[in-house]
Amino acid sequence: MDSLSAATAESFRLLFSGDTALWIIIFTSFSVSVKAILIAAPLAFVVAFTMAHLHYPGRRAMVAGFSALQSIPAVVVGLTVYLVLSRSGPLGDLKLLFTHTSMVIGQVLLSLPLLVALGHAAFQAADRRVWETSITLGATPGRAFLTLVHEVRFGLTAALIAGFGRIIAEVGCSMMVGGNILGYTRNIPTAIALETTKGEFAQAIALGMVLLALALLLNGMLAFFQGRGVMTS
Amino acid sequence: MKEILRYNGLRKSVQGRPVLAIESLEIRERSCVALSGRNGAGKSTLMRIIAGLETPDSATIRFEGQALSWRRACRRMHGQVIYLHQNPYLFDCSVSENIAYGLRRRGLSLREISSRVSEALDWAGIGHLQLRNAHDLSGGERARVAFARARILSPRILLLDEPTANMDSESRSQAYRMIKQLKDDGVSIMIATHEFHTIAHLCDDHLSLESGVLNLQPIEKDSGERKIIPYGREV
Repeated sequence: MDSLSAATAESFRLLFSGDTALWIIIFTSFSVSVKAILIAAPLAFVVAFTMAHLHYPGRRAMVAGFSALQSIPAVVVGLTVYLVLSRSGPLGDLKLLFTHTSMVIGQVLLSLPLLVALGHAAFQAADRRVWETSITLGATPGRAFLTLVHEVRFGLTAALIAGFGRIIAEVGCSMMVGGNILGYTRNIPTAIALETTKGEFAQAIALGMVLLALALLLNGMLAFFQGRGVMTS
Repeated sequence: MKEILRYNGLRKSVQGRPVLAIESLEIRERSCVALSGRNGAGKSTLMRIIAGLETPDSATIRFEGQALSWRRACRRMHGQVIYLHQNPYLFDCSVSENIAYGLRRRGLSLREISSRVSEALDWAGIGHLQLRNAHDLSGGERARVAFARARILSPRILLLDEPTANMDSESRSQAYRMIKQLKDDGVSIMIATHEFHTIAHLCDDHLSLESGVLNLQPIEKDSGERKIIPYGREV
């Protein structure tokens, strides 16, 4: 019990004393996840829009497929990316394994199904008159799409927050494709896993507190935006 | 009156059921046409096709005298043939931004847009609402914003889908006044309605849609006798 109290006290000291190693880990986590969500979101929302508003063969299968892929384990995504990027893999020559880029690729793939599924729900709930009004007033399809995005922005923001929450806390994929290299690819979840196995609880608790605070913040924002989405639909 | 838009051989089926089979339909300059028919007769479908929002199974189209493919016709018509839903949708932004929406797509300067929006607000008598979010307006106010938003684009044709449904008598009178002004401005108007008698004073022609076929109904307000002429055929 004493050691736990001491570790907790030490974790606060680490957090508030500006410990460089700790803050590099936090920065790496946010940097990789923000890049991943910024890449995944536009692609996911365009796919979600086409699934919600266009009729083409295979659309239903796509909806079902993305819905099923939401629950894909992070380690499976990690394994796939690892096999593709490893030296003997099809993209091995790019030498991307154990870099930020490989972590971003893994997190893009991990967040994409969730963003598509939640984006699809948001676009499907949108009033058909939004698109028709934009078009009849002379907007191009691209402009009408942006107008639709604006009208369902609360639902899409909720999707972004849920997607970010999914990737910032995942261990399996980052561990496999990032390699957990200190000061380079070590992020919050992989650092917590490593420090815990080493019995170094102070840093693990400090990073856990960061993740916990982030989870509370994201959930609060999610509840707010989902509420706004319902109110405005 | 010069013809603006003509559809020939317009056919439309929904889930295998024929909805529209119209030999010929023309909309002339400065005309106001009432389109009546039972619920589900296809009035909204016809208007949405005319506006280029729904694709017909087959049709030939002439817009301003030029034969066009469906795709090209749509590109030409959007912004010039404006369809107003029964409950017009206003975007989740201010009344001014709603009215400016179509103009922003035309590459005008901000000064020009601002001056035209002010003029449109005055025209519709909604200057006091310009900064309000459009979603907070009453039904009558929303209709006035929608009319102003359409008028500011100087459309050739305005398609109104039951524009006064669910309105109180005062809002109805305002809507009729605005439709009359739009007609006087030179806009061709088609109005879908269940109650032709309420808009008879605005209309030059009355078309009724029955079993997918358009019939021209002479406007004889007091005779009580209806002579049905198949529209689009030589009679």
